[in-house]
Amino acid sequence: MKMSIILYECKKAFTSPILISLILLFAAFNIFTIISSSDHKEELKIVNDIVDTYGLKITEESLARYERDLQDDLVELNIITVAHRTKEYESVLQFFDELKFENHNLYSEKEWDSFGQLQLKEMYFTMAKSIDEEYATIDIQKIAEYEIKRFGLTGPAAESVKSEYENFSIRFEEMKQNGEHKEWFFAGKAHRMHSLLFKSTFRQLVMESMILIVLATALITNFEFENRTQFITYATTRGRRLMTDKLIASLLATTAIVGFLMMITLAMFFWIFDYSHVWKSSINSAFTWEYNFPNVTWWNMSFITFLICISLLVYMCMILFSVTTFAISVFTKNSYLTFILFATFFIIAYMMPSFIPTSSRVMLAVGYNLSSIVLNPHVAFMGTSGLMMFKNYEWMTVVVWTGLALVSCFISLRLFTKEEIK
Amino acid sequence: MLVVKNVSKHYGKFNALHEINLEFMNGVYGLLAPNGAGKTTLIKMMSTLIFPSEGEILYDGKNILDMDEEYRSMLGYLPQQFGFYKNYSPKQYLLYLAALKGIGKKQASEMIPELLEKVALSDVMNKKMKKFSGGMIQRVGIAQALLNDPKILILDEPTAGLDPKERARFRQLLSDLARDRLVIISTHIVSDIESIANEVIMIKNQQVLFKDSVGNICDSLNGCVYETAIPFDQLASFRKRYVLLSEKQEQGRMIVRFVHKGEAGVQWQQAVPHLEDVFLYEYRDDIQAEV
Repeated sequence: MKMSIILYECKKAFTSPILISLILLFAAFNIFTIISSSDHKEELKIVNDIVDTYGLKITEESLARYERDLQDDLVELNIITVAHRTKEYESVLQFFDELKFENHNLYSEKEWDSFGQLQLKEMYFTMAKSIDEEYATIDIQKIAEYEIKRFGLTGPAAESVKSEYENFSIRFEEMKQNGEHKEWFFAGKAHRMHSLLFKSTFRQLVMESMILIVLATALITNFEFENRTQFITYATTRGRRLMTDKLIASLLATTAIVGFLMMITLAMFFWIFDYSHVWKSSINSAFTWEYNFPNVTWWNMSFITFLICISLLVYMCMILFSVTTFAISVFTKNSYLTFILFATFFIIAYMMPSFIPTSSRVMLAVGYNLSSIVLNPHVAFMGTSGLMMFKNYEWMTVVVWTGLALVSCFISLRLFTKEEIK
Repeated sequence: MLVVKNVSKHYGKFNALHEINLEFMNGVYGLLAPNGAGKTTLIKMMSTLIFPSEGEILYDGKNILDMDEEYRSMLGYLPQQFGFYKNYSPKQYLLYLAALKGIGKKQASEMIPELLEKVALSDVMNKKMKKFSGGMIQRVGIAQALLNDPKILILDEPTAGLDPKERARFRQLLSDLARDRLVIISTHIVSDIESIANEVIMIKNQQVLFKDSVGNICDSLNGCVYETAIPFDQLASFRKRYVLLSEKQEQGRMIVRFVHKGEAGVQWQQAVPHLEDVFLYEYRDDIQAEV
């Protein structure tokens, strides 16, 4: 019987024209943004070819083989160039450097394609060759000093960060020992696929999901008060326990909304971008390095594991946002007010650390909030993520906020059972 | 048996009801008082929507708040403002409310057409309620109150929006229902309950004024209600001296019905008091009259 009530409550959200329109609009928008960012998708295929030919791990033996094949390809390039201009090149890079505008028409479309492929192949080879050299220059303590200076940390807060970076340097060495960074992946500096997926796409997904779940939860929770049916529904046998059903219905609606949006968005993403050969590649691959520091997670994670963890983390945060919205709704009994209060809560939680002295560890503690996690999914689980770099940051934040959300939810439900229905 | 025991309700400093004591058995009870007298407050307390500030409400000796679901499973309630989901049909809405009342879908699907037939809505069972008139909505409200075949049926202003034909049908329905259950009807329309209520409860100054049969309540004005014909120009002074219950024009004169508790005047005809007379008399405005 209770399940049927929960389904009736869910139905209220999923028959709301505004909610349905927004879900479809957001799904369409995500598809549009993915397609509009896919101009380089053909270039990514080279990585699949490389993994197919040389394996996922970059070893000395595979690199030597790669180099030999590259030389053979260069010979073929020179055959073509000599046929047209009687000049030989030592690398594709040199060919492109010396290419003049008027020489463009010398080569056919097919030849240009092969040059492009060869250029990419050479770029990946050069990058692979320089991994050790690049990683040797990374000094974790310098990163720590940089971050401490960037955030203006002093006193105990600075000590905590410094100490965590010391722990992280052990992990960094372990990562190098494991060779996690020596696995093929799409070139981060050229294509920024990590940012495209985990920053742009996931952040977009997070914002959309958040709008939808706050609306859905507020709609389900406040439905009776906004339709003036509270005198009927709360005087039935189920009584005020209906509010508990509404909570469960809100969580189910959240699961369905996040699940649907995530499924559509990620399905589109991986349909457009071919990740078929790099699922098992490490997220710490040197190729995912895009900006100042490479990606280094606290744990050895493959790309697919990282993707699953981020998806679960985002889902968990959305569930907690739904619970928080529910607690607010029980008090306000008004969807608009709930939306405004939730937005205020979200922004305050995100900005809170900036109001606390940078010498205090409290500043680091208030940084353990859901707003920071969902706005920075691309650096989750990583030791190179500013003040989110703490090893236990994600799970501790989720556990603490689960506790807070459950307490607020419990209090609101308890108060509601004693509240007069007016 | 439902017992309201020493129940008071305060909203801050405002006293809505004060030490109300009532007992209800099976039958129809009319809760008669003008708007704002505290009828809805009392009814909401009996429906567990709000709680007494003092005192308690007992069903078969148990506090209804402690009985919780057990009490509400016996309760059918139609609030004064019957809210509905405008995009639902009566059938969909009643199915949802049936689930809240603990009735299985199969059983509800069988009951709902019968109930809607009783309130003459079977033709529009699957139409969205947003197109319904006020009377039709009120009939959906009556149907939902009957969904769980309640032992206690509480109806707050149930005839609001109903036309005379619908009111007659509704009174008939209530008479049938009241045979084996307790029906409490809150209203300020005397005719709704005059002919069907076993007992009428009148609330005045936050307290129970009467709880008696219609006949006994009417007896409180026995020998005090008169009718007489007066010229138009005497009407104003007549109003000042007596509590007028009704006035109508007839053959160029005014026929007035009024209350007077002293010696009868010449040409006054004593009338049998009706419940409406008592209602108008008890809830009269401050009339500058010698009664």
